[in-house]
This record gives sequence, C-alpha cells and structure tokens, in this order.
Amino acid sequence: MPLSWYLVFGALLFMIGVVGVLTRRNVIIVLMSIELMLNAVNVTLISFSHYLQDLRGQIFTLFIIAVAASEAAIGLALVISMYRGKSTFNLDEVNVLKW
Amino acid sequence: MEAAALLEGTAALLPHITVLVTGLVVLVLDLFLPPRGLGQAGSRWATEAVSLVGLALAFACALAQAGDEPRAVFMGMAVVDGLGTFFNAVFVLIAALTVLLSAHYVRREDIRPGEYYALILFATLGFMFVGSSSDLVMMFLAIETFSMATYILAGLLRDTPRSLESAFKYFMLGSFSSAFFLYGIATLYGALGTTNLLALSQAMSAEGTSPLLLMGMGLLIVGLGFKVAVVPFHMWAPDVYEGAPTAVTAFMTAGPKAAAFAALLRVFAQGFGAPAFSEEWVPIFAVLAALTMLLGNIVAIVQQSVKRMLAYSSIAHAGYAFVALVAHNAAGAGSILYYLVAYTFMSLGAFTVLMIVARRDDQRHVFDDYAGLGATNPALAAIMSLFMFALAGFPPTAGFAGKFYVFSAAAQSGYYVLALIGVLTSVISVVYYARVVILMYMHEPDAEAPRIRLAPTSVAALSVTAFGVLYLGIFPGGVMQLAARSVAFLFPG
Amino acid sequence: MTWPLLSTVVFLPLLGAIVLLALPRRREALMWGWTLGVMLVTFAVSVVLYAAFDSSLPSMQFSEQAAWIGGLGITYHVGIDGISLPLFVLTTLLSPVALLSAWQSIPTKAKEFAVLMLVLETSMLGAFVALDLFLFFIFWEAMLIPMYLMIGMWGGENRLYATVKFILYTMAGSALMLVAILALHILNLQQGGGRSFDLFDFFALDLSLQQQKLLFMAFFLSFAIKVPLFPFHTWLPDAHTEAPTAGSVILAGVLLKMGGYGFIRFCLPLFPAAATAFAPLISVLAVIGILYGALVAMVQPDIKRLVAYSSVSHLGLVMLGIFAGNLAGLQGGILQMVNHGLTTGALFLLVGMIYDRRHTRLIADYGGLWRQMPIFAVFFLVVMFASIGLPGLNGFVGEFLILLGAFEFNRGFAVLAALGMILSAVYMLWMYQRVMYGEVTHEANRGLRDLSAREITLLAPLVLLMFWIGIYPSTFLRPTDAASAHLLEQVRSRAVLAAPVSAALTPRPFPAGEGAVDHAGGQTP
Repeated sequence: MPLSWYLVFGALLFMIGVVGVLTRRNVIIVLMSIELMLNAVNVTLISFSHYLQDLRGQIFTLFIIAVAASEAAIGLALVISMYRGKSTFNLDEVNVLKW
Repeated sequence: MEAAALLEGTAALLPHITVLVTGLVVLVLDLFLPPRGLGQAGSRWATEAVSLVGLALAFACALAQAGDEPRAVFMGMAVVDGLGTFFNAVFVLIAALTVLLSAHYVRREDIRPGEYYALILFATLGFMFVGSSSDLVMMFLAIETFSMATYILAGLLRDTPRSLESAFKYFMLGSFSSAFFLYGIATLYGALGTTNLLALSQAMSAEGTSPLLLMGMGLLIVGLGFKVAVVPFHMWAPDVYEGAPTAVTAFMTAGPKAAAFAALLRVFAQGFGAPAFSEEWVPIFAVLAALTMLLGNIVAIVQQSVKRMLAYSSIAHAGYAFVALVAHNAAGAGSILYYLVAYTFMSLGAFTVLMIVARRDDQRHVFDDYAGLGATNPALAAIMSLFMFALAGFPPTAGFAGKFYVFSAAAQSGYYVLALIGVLTSVISVVYYARVVILMYMHEPDAEAPRIRLAPTSVAALSVTAFGVLYLGIFPGGVMQLAARSVAFLFPG
Repeated sequence: MTWPLLSTVVFLPLLGAIVLLALPRRREALMWGWTLGVMLVTFAVSVVLYAAFDSSLPSMQFSEQAAWIGGLGITYHVGIDGISLPLFVLTTLLSPVALLSAWQSIPTKAKEFAVLMLVLETSMLGAFVALDLFLFFIFWEAMLIPMYLMIGMWGGENRLYATVKFILYTMAGSALMLVAILALHILNLQQGGGRSFDLFDFFALDLSLQQQKLLFMAFFLSFAIKVPLFPFHTWLPDAHTEAPTAGSVILAGVLLKMGGYGFIRFCLPLFPAAATAFAPLISVLAVIGILYGALVAMVQPDIKRLVAYSSVSHLGLVMLGIFAGNLAGLQGGILQMVNHGLTTGALFLLVGMIYDRRHTRLIADYGGLWRQMPIFAVFFLVVMFASIGLPGLNGFVGEFLILLGAFEFNRGFAVLAALGMILSAVYMLWMYQRVMYGEVTHEANRGLRDLSAREITLLAPLVLLMFWIGIYPSTFLRPTDAASAHLLEQVRSRAVLAAPVSAALTPRPFPAGEGAVDHAGGQTP
C-alpha cells in the first residue's frame, strides 16, 4: 500500500480526536480522544519511518507512548478527584470559572 | 555512546542536572521530615533552604557556561549556546523567586512543601531543557516534563473546586496542543527525514518549501500558540490562571510562557530562520501579535477580578513579546529575552501582592478588595502601584524599557503599524492597571480591613522583584547587552 | 571635571524624595520643612545657574553627556539654552510655591503628597533639559504618574473621571510620539548615522517632506494635547477643576508649558519644512482656541473652570507666537509661557485660598468680598490685570510681542487674536465685579479671614515678578535672544532646502531677514 493511505488514515484519526475533544462533554471520552490524537501521530510517524527507512521515527513513537501513559495517569487522577467533589463526568458542570 | 562523549554531555548539562538532583533531594527529604506537628516548621524551612541552595548552584553553573563555544551534546539532542545559557539563568531565577514568594503561601494554605517545591523544580528542569534542546523530540519531551508538573501544581489545592477545574482545563488544552505540536513534528519528519533543528534548517534550504513542510510549520504554530496563549489559542489561559493557587499562577505566567518563547525562538528564529521560510510565518505571527495585543488589553478592561485581569494582561504581554518575534532580527531576538526577564519581575511581583491581599483561602481577588490599601498598608500599596505602572509600560520601569526595545526592533524591520498597535494598546492597558491604583489610593478601606503583616520571605520576594523592575528600567543596557550577545549567533552578519 | 550643576538641580528633588521616604510619617512638620527646604535649595541652585548662564551664546550650556544604554546609543545628554532656561527657573520657583499652598489644605497623606511633588519637580526639570529623545520621553512620561495620583488622591468629587481622561489623552499623544522617535532612530540608522537618540544627530537627518509631515503630526498630537491646542483641550478644564490647588498651579504653571516647549525644541528644528507647511493650519487652530476659550470662560459659573478656559485662550496666543516664524513671535511665545505660569499659577492660588475658606468655587456664592478681604482683593486685582495684559505688568509684554510677530505673519490672525484679548478683559473684569463688588449677598461671606502671612508670602514673589517683567523685561528676554535667533535661522535655512515648493506656496511663512526684527523697541513699553 502506498504511503499516502497511511497518512490519510493518520490524518483521519487525528481529526476524529480533535472533533471528539471539541464536541464531547464526557470527561472520559475527551481523554480518549486526546489519546486518539497521539496515536494518530504514532501512525504517521511509523509510516514515515518505514518510508524513509529511518529508525528514529519509531524510537520517537516509543517516547510518545510513554508520555501518553503518564498524561493519562495525570488526567485520570484529576478526573477522580473531580468526581469526588462533584459526582459528575460532565464537562459542562465544571464551571465555577467562566469558560 | 563513548564514555568521553557521555562525560562531556554531562558536564555541559550541569545546570540541568543540578536542578534535577535538587528536585530529587527535596522529594526524598520529604519522606523523612515530619509532615505534621512540631517538626513541621522545620521541615518547611529545610525544604526551602535545599531548593534555594540547589537553584543557586544551578545559577552558578549556568553562569560558568556563559561565553562558551556553542556545542551540541548527546548526539545532537541538546545544545549549549548563548540562548540556552541565558534561558537557563532566567528559568533558575524564576524558580528561586517562586520559592521565595511561595514560602508564605505554602504555610498559609497548608500545602505539603515536599511535593510543591519538587514539582516547581521539575517544571524548571523542563523549561531548561526546552531552552537547550536542538531536536524537536527533545523539545517535545521537555515541554511535556514541565507541562505535567504544572498540571499538578495547578490542581494542588485538591479540595477547592476552582483549583481542580483550573488543573483539568489546563491539562485538557495542554495535551490537546501537545498533540498538534507532535503532529507538526511528525509532518516535518516526513517532509525532511530529520527532527534535528540544525539538520532541518539545512535540509530546508536545500529542498525549498513543500506543502508538507508548510503544514508542519502551521501545526507547530498552533501547538506552540496554545502554550504561549496567543490569540486565538488563548481561551484556556484566563480560567486556568484564575483558578490555580495564586503562587502557582505567578509561576505559570512567568515560567511556561518563557519556555514557550524559548521554543518559538529555537524552532522559528533558528530552524525556520532563513528568509525563504521566514516570509511564510512572519505575516502569520504579525496577525497573531496584533490580535493578541488588542484582545488581551481590551478584554482585561471589563474584568471584575484582579487575578483574572492579570491573566488577560499576561496574554497581552505575550503579544508584545510576539512583536519582537515578528521583527525577526537580532534586536528583536534580544528584546524577547529582555522582555521575558522584565515580565518575570513585574508579574511575579504583582502576583506576590495579590497573594498577600487574598489572605487565607486565597479568596479576596476582586477589585473592591483593594479599596483603601493605600491607607491600611502604604508600603504594599506603593509597591503594587510600581508593578501596575511597570506593567502598563511607564518609564522608568522595566516594562517601559522592554516595550521600547521590542517596538524599536519592530520599527527596524519596518513593522511600524505593529509598533503603533503595541503603543496604543499600552495606552488602553493604563485603564485597567490604573484602576487598581485608583482603588488603593482614592477609595476608603473596608471598616474591618486589618493591617496585613508581611512575612519576611514575601518582603524578600517583593524587594527583589521591585528592585529588578526599577534596575532594568533605569539601566537596561547591561542585561540587554547580555541578551543581544546570547542571540547573536541566530542572525550572523 | 566640573561639577554637574544642571544634573544637581534636576535630581536634588528626587534625592530629597528618597530621604523623605525614610522620615517618620508622624512628624508632619519635619516632612513639610524638609520638602520645602529641598525645593528652596533647588531654586537657589537654579538661580546660580541663571546667573552663570552666558546669554550671548546660542548653543547649549552646562551640557553633560554620559553613556547610558549602550546597545541603542542612548546617552544621558542634558543641556540648557535660552529657550529652556526661563521655563526651567519657572519650574523651580513654582514648585515651592505650590507646595506651600498645600500646607494646610492637604489634610491626609501628607507624606505621599510631598514625595509626589518632589518626583514631579525632577521629572519636569528633566524634560526641560533633556537633549536625548529617549531621555526626554522618560521624563515626559514620568511626569504623568505623580500628576495623575495628585489629582486622584486629593481631587474634587469628579476626580476619577478627570484622572482617567487626563491620563488617556496625554498617553494617547505620547504613544504616537514614541513611535515617531523610534522612526527617527531607525532613519538615522539607515542614513548611516549609527544608533543614536541624540537630538543633534537627528538635526542632521535628511527627511523628505512626506516623512517630515508624518513625523511632525505624531509629535504635534502629543504636544498639542499638552498645550492644549483647540480642539484637544477638553481634558484640561476637568483636570483643573478637580485637581487640588497645588496640582492646578503645577499643571497650569509648568506642565502645559511642556507642550509649547516641545514645539519649539523638537517640532520646529526637526521638521522645519513640515512646520512651515502646517504653520497656517496651526495658527487657525490657535486663533480658534483664543476666541473659543475666551467665550466659554465668559459663561462659566465656576471660578476655577473660568481660569482653566482662560488658559486655553492664553496658550492659543502662545502657539500663534511660536508658529509666526519670526523672532518677535517666538520670544513673545516663550515669555508669555513664563507669564502664563506666573499669572495663572497665582490665579489658581487665589481661587484655592477662598475655596479653603468657603468650600465653594461658584461665582454666585460670592459678592462684596472687597470689604471683607481687602488684601486678597488687591492681590487678585493685580494678578487679574497681569492676566488681561495691562501695560506695566508682565502679560502686556508677551502679548505685545506675539501680536507683533503675528501681525508680520498674517494680519487677520493678529486682529482676531487682539479681539480675544479684549474678550479676556471682559470675562475677567466681569468675574471680578461679581465676586468683589456689591453688597455681601451670602452671610457666610461676612467676616471672612483676610490673607494670612503664609498666603502673602506665597503670592508676593509671583506679583513681584509680574511687575519686574512688566517694567523691565530685558532681564528675562535677553537670555532668549541668541537661542531664539539661532533656532529661527536653523528652521529657515533647512525649511527652504528641504521643500522649496511648499515654502513658495505658503503665504510668507518665514519671511527672510525681516523676521530677525530688532525687538529692542518692544522691550520696554
């Protein structure tokens, strides 16, 4: 398969992630959308890496996976403490401050 | 990697390593010091003392590298050059001032000192690596390092909804923008086959522009635009700054912002600096700068909370520094560094006053809480006026000198309109900065307003920042010369 | 190295302010005494400077230059010539007077007041002697803050509105000036002059008429707001009405002179062709200001507002003199700035004195004061005549010279300006009549205290100077001779070089030769 297919796939994943972050109101789904965006980048990087026959892209992917994991840890921790206080996963109810 | 190269790299990154070790020491110390009861005061002082000593050491290491030949270490991942060294010094200064101004806050709000100061130090480490990175991978990791530390810092007051909400919004938009930044890196990697900034700029000069390259550039602008909070990527900033603990807000307006500008300088002034590429991004940046100055200053006028007003003011000031980026000349790059130092003093100082006036539970942030401060606390009111006038850009303060350098750089590149917008929006800004002064001096205080006793550490933080604001305003030459020398290599000839 | 006399005068008040900060707040008498002492010493040193000034030289004297901000070629460059000298000494004179006027009328925050007065004095003095445009701008802007705080902290009921208006107007003007200064700097760089903000380097710039016009307009707006020239004057009545007496005295006496001084020092020599081209337009605005200010002053029910509008009228006259483009007009303009500082300063003092007694400024609340406060009435009479321009008093000399210059420039303007002076006699005398003569209509006015020794001490030096200038003006005109002639020469030679076309089109803008009229006849009336 040509490179462009992978790139289009990555771009589509990324767009789905962006739209998810911007439109969904459930905190967990928003977190998942962000993960989706990061994985779209991974797909893009790996396909470029394969196309260029250069390993650095794949190494970078490993870094991104690690970072994504720690981001998820922080994100989930925040979600939990928010749930303790408010008993909700809905972003619209998190509005002490003007958004 | 060979041992010699490893050793050389370690020596080159000594300032970073010092900060890292200090952070780890603070973290471990926290395990052994008594968290409650009689030993609590001692634990706090010990943590703060260790942090300050570590930062002083790091500052000394950074100074020792001044004037070194630029060299890449760790296989081109990091670089030691004037820009990195200058930023290292600035970041360490920001961290030290934050420790000073937080000391009182940590006690008042009962924050565990170990985690607080360790996070400050780890965030500082992240800043420093942003300033020293010469590879986009490295830069991404560094940005994530400081971002994660600041997400946690923003949510440190776990029991207050405002703090949590601030942390969550910061986290969401932070990781959202990181994804854009990453996607930009991936695209550039695909277009040119490298993520090293020097290799990138060479490859670009050889191959010229391509759609993929421009897309990558655009994505990087979006990603970093979020980090700097430049309009239209600013909407997270007011909420996050307002909700975060005030000491953390102070840190966030100075540190992450300066780090993001370090990244912008590295990527755009250094990586995409060649004329063929700068003509692609400079017009975009010019529009962003104009929008940021206009929106930041105009929206700040209608705010009811001083903290939120300063959040918008922080957006506006990013706009001024952006003008210098648009100028894209040696004077401009130097003036960004100068502006960041000046803004650090002004902003940290103003937030220190905010923190003191807010009193216990960090509540009193509306304008009316400042009524009559001139009568009840003349010294505090006088110093707050100094910071307000400095932020508004009155001479002889650092705020004026900074704007002057920025606008003269813009004029030098022919961006008179941008300079004019900058100067006129500064006039607008007088409206809301002066409002604080008006309230402090021209209104009667609340009947029950008590005289505030200042903690010695707060006095120290205020003295240092006030001295910085005045010194940089009256004798800007020295620091500016250092800044100019640090960026001279970006614009040879 | 000789002792830097000029810097001493400029920075003495600032030094005094720093010492004052350390003095205890409770010892009020000590604070006032210290502040007054510092200001008097400053005045004394400035008189020494006046005496040591060589009035035969047109160049800058007591010059000091030291490197300051290396990267941009900014230097600490100060110097004084015949144009700035009278205004400089006026500032050192009016500052202690204004301070003394506040001795009893500032009830709260006396320490803040004294510190602000001292800082204000340093910034005003600095602005008059700065020869580096960056330095000038710093002093120029630094002036705003103390004035702003002074109106805001001790002002009248509408002080918030007045302060915001004051600061926005003046800042908006200086914003454009800052950009123009930057443009000059860059042009100097492009023309191979290196990095500099020095006024004398900028004189050597080669500017096209288009550039000159743009830059002139940027400077013009800033100075015109400060003067204030019609139609940029609307902040002035508000600021004056709300300001405490000391603030009004400084505002009218010195701050407004900054505008006129700026035109003479910067606009004319830097952009001679543009100045020539714009002279008729500015003169029209000045004449409108003269008539408008006088007419509006006539219908004011509030004495302080009346005096404020009379300032608009008088400063229009000054502008007319400055842009007449001949020696008589220019020297008249400079002298009239000093005169206006003395007379309007004194008028505000007098208004402040009755305000302290009755707490009203409405003309209708007074009447028949002549019998109650004879000394006050006499002082008021003299000052009023000086303001109207009665021969033998200072106002006459300045107005005469300006009219002489204006007549040469354009007869129509001169006639209209003279009409404005007649109007000024009308509103002043009418106000005087309503306040002083007739029966006492309000019981509260009966038995008002006459002036105290402190108040007489305040007014005496001003009145003395009014007579001095009126009877023997050469003491004050001679120092300005050489510098003014030199300036006109500079403008005339470069205006023609830069823009022969526009110079030919303008009706007798800077008539060669005859402009350097021997004004000896005008010196002693």
